[in-house]
Amino acid sequence: MVEDVEGDISELFSKRSKQNKTKAKLFFALDVLFLFRPGMIRNFEPINRLINYAMIGNYLKIAKRNALRYKGFTILNLLGLIIGISSSILILLWINDEVQVDKFHTNGDKIYQLFRNMKQTGGLVVTTSSIPKPAADLMEAEYPEVENVALLSWEMEYLIGIDKNESKEDGRVATQEFLDMFSFNFLAGDKNTALTEITSIAISQRLAEKHFGSEWKEKALGTSLRIDGQYDLTISGVFENPGPNSSLRFDWLATAEAFISQNDWIDDWGNGSFGVFFTLGSEDDLKVVADRVLDEIKVHAAGQNNAGDEQLVIHKFQDYYLYSKWDNGVINGGRIDYVRIMSIVAIFILIVACINFMNLATARSGRRSKEIGLRKVMGAYKNAISAQFYVEAFLLTTIAVVLSVGVVLLVLPYYNILVDKSLFINFTQFETWAFLVGTILTVGFLSGSYPALLLPTFDIIQSLKGSVKQSSGAAFFRKSLVVFQFAISTLLIIGMSVVYKQINYILTKDIGLDKENLVAVRMEGDLGQRLETYKNELLNIPEVIGVTGSVGNPINYGRSTSSANWEGKSPEAGYEVNVLLTDEDFIETMGMEVVLGRDFSEQFTDSTNFLINEVAAELMGFDDPLEKDLSFWGIDGKIVGVVKNFHMRDMYEPIAPLIITCIAPNRSEVALVRIKGDANTAMRAIEKVTTTLNPATEFDYQFVDQAFAENYDAERTIGVQAGIFAVISFVISCLGLFGLSAFTAERRSREIGVRKVHGASVAQILILLSKDYSKLMLLAFVLAVPFGYYFTQQWLNDFEFRTSLDPMIFITAGVLTFLVGVLTVSAKSYQAATVNPTSSLKDE
Amino acid sequence: MGKYSIGEFEEVVLLTVAILYQNAYGISIKEEIENRLQRKVSVGAMRTALNRLEKKGFLVSEFGEATKVRGGKRKRFFKVTPYGKTCLQKVMETRKQMWDAIPSIAFDFKFA
Repeated sequence: MVEDVEGDISELFSKRSKQNKTKAKLFFALDVLFLFRPGMIRNFEPINRLINYAMIGNYLKIAKRNALRYKGFTILNLLGLIIGISSSILILLWINDEVQVDKFHTNGDKIYQLFRNMKQTGGLVVTTSSIPKPAADLMEAEYPEVENVALLSWEMEYLIGIDKNESKEDGRVATQEFLDMFSFNFLAGDKNTALTEITSIAISQRLAEKHFGSEWKEKALGTSLRIDGQYDLTISGVFENPGPNSSLRFDWLATAEAFISQNDWIDDWGNGSFGVFFTLGSEDDLKVVADRVLDEIKVHAAGQNNAGDEQLVIHKFQDYYLYSKWDNGVINGGRIDYVRIMSIVAIFILIVACINFMNLATARSGRRSKEIGLRKVMGAYKNAISAQFYVEAFLLTTIAVVLSVGVVLLVLPYYNILVDKSLFINFTQFETWAFLVGTILTVGFLSGSYPALLLPTFDIIQSLKGSVKQSSGAAFFRKSLVVFQFAISTLLIIGMSVVYKQINYILTKDIGLDKENLVAVRMEGDLGQRLETYKNELLNIPEVIGVTGSVGNPINYGRSTSSANWEGKSPEAGYEVNVLLTDEDFIETMGMEVVLGRDFSEQFTDSTNFLINEVAAELMGFDDPLEKDLSFWGIDGKIVGVVKNFHMRDMYEPIAPLIITCIAPNRSEVALVRIKGDANTAMRAIEKVTTTLNPATEFDYQFVDQAFAENYDAERTIGVQAGIFAVISFVISCLGLFGLSAFTAERRSREIGVRKVHGASVAQILILLSKDYSKLMLLAFVLAVPFGYYFTQQWLNDFEFRTSLDPMIFITAGVLTFLVGVLTVSAKSYQAATVNPTSSLKDE
Repeated sequence: MGKYSIGEFEEVVLLTVAILYQNAYGISIKEEIENRLQRKVSVGAMRTALNRLEKKGFLVSEFGEATKVRGGKRKRFFKVTPYGKTCLQKVMETRKQMWDAIPSIAFDFKFA
């Protein structure tokens, strides 16, 4: 074929070159170039035009026989795949659930939320969702691009009920636009008018069932509910309980208008109040609106004494659940970080499982070499042998996927407890099936490709003799895969250890107060007014050592003012300073430390004396803060002491400046009780005292240390999840390693026999067999460390207070993987090393 | 055309091979087509067509003697097979039948 074409074009060339040499050369080149066409280079039609479908039956039969003959390998293979696939399915269910949150609103992609960036003088920007209400009014009235503006309050807790049957329920006040904008489903009443009347209230199905039983649909509408013991509101609708797929939760919704009319402070550019949501007609207007709204507060609040350096920014509502971490006024990740981490973990685990499959299949290929050789002799094409191994891979994967689904169904209830979700596999959904089939195809292809491409290349004669020498490239590839597996496992273990270390660091850190044996009891109704009596009653209980009233729980506190003024403060500087209202026993009961000056002695004399924390002292810049003038909220007083810093927020944030005052103990909402001895007895006694003084309300309390730990539930969940999956990935890798070492031991059985005959000890043989794999393990460790260091340091950097990256973590992870890996190898090697050499040498 | 599937260019090539009879090889076919039909033919296009015709069984080929002109490379001579002939006839017949089927008035463009 080549010869005559060559002849043709050289003949053409000689003819043409008689006229023009250069032209001839050019045409020659062109001719050659045009010869590169599909039909000429290679025949693309399948060589084996008659695909032998009959062979597929044979492939299945052989696959079955092979699987049953080497049961151990089949089980190793399947086990690895099943563990890997079911873990990935679990993680994907979790990810899917996270991603779905807040996506059920039909208008979702048009809803935006306003956020307020408050610039502190130190350069720090604090972001909040509470927006001055006039900003919302302005948008509604003057922004042509904005379609609708809705107000939604923060979560409020009020007593709600009919007659004496009252309970504390969380809810919010909102405008009718809120219902118009969001797709919360109404089961009774008209959603379009539910919040138009000023006396209306909509309640959740749960609340309706609680008060009206199973016939709530008939009874609830139009009934009057008493709120906070003073307002009577009429039920205008019942909505479906906002489920776990909504980040906004509430059991009741009342009209915002009534609330606004009773709270003058809301209608003020200087005070943040509601959350503000709005819809845009078209996404193109986003930029215009964002630019225009940015400085509205600065413009309108100018000249007011509570004006701060504040800007309004816009964020898409449905993205907020995943992207909610504000970093100096800009969104920087959030839960999406965890979603990403878990996606990577899922992919890694799947890859590790596939690698197992590949390694075991190729390592065992020696056993199949005769079969391959014979098939070739009988006229099998390479493609056909590839097809055979693909069929085997897909068959095993299919079985593994089916079994994995079963495993997932079994494990799901426990996993749900772990991640605190209600995940389930929705078999009626097309996506579920698409995903399962997709998994079979991907995993089958990934794990089948290597054997399917490698095995058919064996030389016929060699393979028939049963002495196939695998190329060093294949061995190298297999080794790199093992290194990769163990590097990933080590990486995951390092990650898990760091998360645990950080959480442990947080929970055991000295947070500046003694949170053990401390109970926070909510003071309902007018109990705050009777604080003295309440305290005295409590102190009569033998288990109670100290009591103090406070306006909030000090481990989760954020009530601030920008009106604080002190000696030497520059007039234009704006600082947001926290103010904690409490009584004179606070410092002592909480176990805080006064580092300078003195504690409050008596409420009466100290009512205009303040304590500040160290951060505040530094901020105010006094050399000696004692006896300096300080004023806020129009109260003038003096600083009498500096208290050691304690954590009022989570560890992601720095400690904020704080003023502690005992000017108004009767505004306390929380009684902090220090107890000793048996907590149960103490709690019963405290409950008795509280309910005697306040019979109408429920006894509501929490242990401060537990509440503190709960703040880090998300991190702990991720830590536990990462831990479990790290172990899983490790187990899969070990399964693979076990299979590989079994293979090596078997292949070298004769060598071992000869060595033993010549006097080698079991230990020597063990070392001989484990040496190779130990090297791989070390290499994996070396690879994992820099990545582990980088990623974990990134994660830790989010915390303002963080543990250090101890080299011990890395060493422990390394030693652990190494030991387990070597043990796995030795388990099989030991068996091989103790075999009587006669049995391995006799068959020649 | 049923089993005699053949493209326009393939038909031209096949006819040319028949015309050239014993002297049908790459260059002669190319030149013949170029002279007769006044169209440019590239070596690649012609070669593809020849390959396909051979695969379909309309042509057979064999190497000739080596000559000096072509740098010692042999020529590949093509010959139409009886099957190729049937195909050409069939094509012509179908064309003819179709021509006959055209009503005379269809091509009467005078008053159009």
